[in-house]
Amino acid sequence: MSDLLASALPSRARMRRTAPAVVSAVALAAMLAVCASLQSDVLSVGGLTLVLSATVPLVIAAQAQMALMSVGDIDLGIGNFVGLVTVVSATTLVSSPLVGALTLLGLVAAYALLGALIHLRRVPSLIATLGASFVWLGLGLFILPTPGGSTPEWLATFGSWQPAGFPAPLLPILVVALVVYLLTARSALGVRMRGLGSNPVALQRAGLRPLAARVIAYTVAGALGVVSGLVLASQTGGGDVSSASSYTLMTVAAVILGGGSFFGGSAVPWGVAIGGVTLGLVSVVLSLLDVQSNMQSAVQGVIVLAVLAGRVVVGKVLR
Amino acid sequence: MDNRGPRAGEPVVVAKGVTKTYGRTRALAGVDLEVRAGEVLGLVGHNGAGKSTLMRVLAGLEACDEGAVLVHGKEVSGEAGPRAADFRAVRMAYQETSLCPDLTVAENIWVSSRHCLPRLRWRRAASDAVRRRLDEMFPGHGVSPRDRVEDLSLAQRQMVEITRASLVDRLDLLILDEPTESLGPDAARSLYDYVRTLTAAGTAVLLISHRIREVLSVADRVAVLRDGAVTAERFAEGLGEQDVLELMGAHVAVPSEKERSAARAATDVADRPAVAELRGATAPGLRGVSLRVGAGEVVGLAGLAGQGQQEVLERLWRPVRRDTTVAGTRAYVPGDRQRSGVLPLWSVAENLIVTAMRGLARQGLRRPAEERAAVGDWVERLSIRGGADAGITELSGGNQQKVIVARAFASTAGLVLLDDPFRGVDVHTKTDLYALIRQEAAQGRSVVWYSSENAEMAHCDRVYVFRAGRVVAELVGDEISEERIIAVSFDESDETDGEQSK
Repeated sequence: MSDLLASALPSRARMRRTAPAVVSAVALAAMLAVCASLQSDVLSVGGLTLVLSATVPLVIAAQAQMALMSVGDIDLGIGNFVGLVTVVSATTLVSSPLVGALTLLGLVAAYALLGALIHLRRVPSLIATLGASFVWLGLGLFILPTPGGSTPEWLATFGSWQPAGFPAPLLPILVVALVVYLLTARSALGVRMRGLGSNPVALQRAGLRPLAARVIAYTVAGALGVVSGLVLASQTGGGDVSSASSYTLMTVAAVILGGGSFFGGSAVPWGVAIGGVTLGLVSVVLSLLDVQSNMQSAVQGVIVLAVLAGRVVVGKVLR
Repeated sequence: MDNRGPRAGEPVVVAKGVTKTYGRTRALAGVDLEVRAGEVLGLVGHNGAGKSTLMRVLAGLEACDEGAVLVHGKEVSGEAGPRAADFRAVRMAYQETSLCPDLTVAENIWVSSRHCLPRLRWRRAASDAVRRRLDEMFPGHGVSPRDRVEDLSLAQRQMVEITRASLVDRLDLLILDEPTESLGPDAARSLYDYVRTLTAAGTAVLLISHRIREVLSVADRVAVLRDGAVTAERFAEGLGEQDVLELMGAHVAVPSEKERSAARAATDVADRPAVAELRGATAPGLRGVSLRVGAGEVVGLAGLAGQGQQEVLERLWRPVRRDTTVAGTRAYVPGDRQRSGVLPLWSVAENLIVTAMRGLARQGLRRPAEERAAVGDWVERLSIRGGADAGITELSGGNQQKVIVARAFASTAGLVLLDDPFRGVDVHTKTDLYALIRQEAAQGRSVVWYSSENAEMAHCDRVYVFRAGRVVAELVGDEISEERIIAVSFDESDETDGEQSK
């Protein structure tokens, strides 16, 4: 497989950049193989749907994380933000759809505002988003102190949609990755975002405002966070503000697995999709392997470290 | 068409009595300069003469404190700072480039020239434009618009930067800041050919370079910047290199007779034990360099910037290869104090003592009293303003530099490596530091000193002059003079066969 890739890819530099995603893809394939050897049903449409569905909200949240990491920031509030969205969609969106929709739009606007504040006040994004994460948590607990509620009918329908012929979760994963790809890699907006992460001085000298670029990135991240929350609510059928708190660090890991960088400048939507699915699959594999649930986090961490180490090794070889 | 002679085109950009002050440093002290359509104006000046500040003001990146900047006779230095729209036809290629390394070449073109690109399918338009211009300016460049800038070589990045600056629908003034620094001779030649076609079409070009011979061969007029003001403007025709150097006031501080004799005495002792030695070292940027540093010797690395001097320092700092031997410990004084020199959150005392701390400590425990004494000693010796307890960033650049130099000498290192540490430092500080270097050498410490200012080399016992990664001359004692160094480093007779042998 890697031979095929090598002949298809034009340059060594390009290979070096896609290497992390390739390593993740190899890990993904390996895990699917393990699953299939334990449970042959996994490779059927129904089995794949079951296995992949849990990864969809994670992958979308990881795309949000990537949007921020492409400008060189990091979002430590995305987990609670996704949780807050599930709460809104399980309460307000059911009782009064218009207010609910406006609330969700307001949450996106809040992200944009957060980006502007981070830029203007020169607060490290790490601190600002960490602070914001407690705001999201507080708001979620205020609206829905205990997990519960029910999702709107259209959302529930989407959650239980079972097309014949292909696993349903693939569709949102691919569509979101495509949209994010067009936005961050192909459009002028994406050039602004990556330019900000790459060399803000050059951006400024060219007369482009870094503030605008950062606000765009945060708006994109907020919108993707809302989508992620809606998908999560459609699957769980209710709202729980802490249902996605593990996403915060998982999304960062997914971006790194997909070939992103902490320093900004790069946008790797396809890699992030692969990295996110890989991470999501780890827990499936572990439960199929009958790993004790209290050991799962540790084993998950070891697997992530192993994949990251593989990325480093491949990067060194290709240098 | 011969566009080399003096020509009186209409002025494109005019600076009138422009001043600019950063903190306590007066970068520009009333600059009057006129750039006319269709001419190449060379701007020369020593390091710290205010070249880069003047460039930023002329390119509309910064407002001036007093005076005015006129573009096409219209005053554009408004109260609220320069507006981008007024300066759209003034473009600048930066020495350190102004590209985003993570973006492709075409995307970088969009960033800087988006006003001239269609809203849709801009990627293709930018790719076509940059490919065409690169072919025109630098035949055989080997750059694809889809390449990421980070994957390009230094020379290719410079080419893209210059192309980026030139790509605009209307170009009145192109400012080239040290454009040939990382370009090979062929690329430099084709760049200047293109510059001539530009000026023939009425564009003005402002060329900043410390390669004076190059400036004289390309420019119509030469303006000399000195201490923040234009002190001379001459037609390039009939002007010699020595004339320009004289106009620049090429002297920093003449070493006293006593130092001279000390230096001479030092060279008499030829058989001192070698502290460090390079034997035919070859690496990227180095071609068979051999040099020797004796105990208590001040060895200078001279020549134009970027000819391999820093690679030698790097070798001595990390002697990993067989061809390098270094005895004892080393201390390194970086030139870029903002990036690799100061620890910005720490005080002067902490910045100064951080290297020596381990030597002073007893069984891993710091000894504050001894440290304080050492710091106090150095602060007094170099008269560092602000004292030991001031935050390092509260100090002026010169004083910060004193701290960094003191840090190296406060350590017990037997060999001190100086990486052009006195750039942009005022004359008084320099004189203090030169004296310090000689004192320390007299006590048996060795110093390897790379400097972009040839005049500083007079303080050395022995000077190796570099060009294209090779030592082209070794000067000892009385042979060391600025004229001599310049003569050797500009002497291009053997460079061509060096290129061929490559």
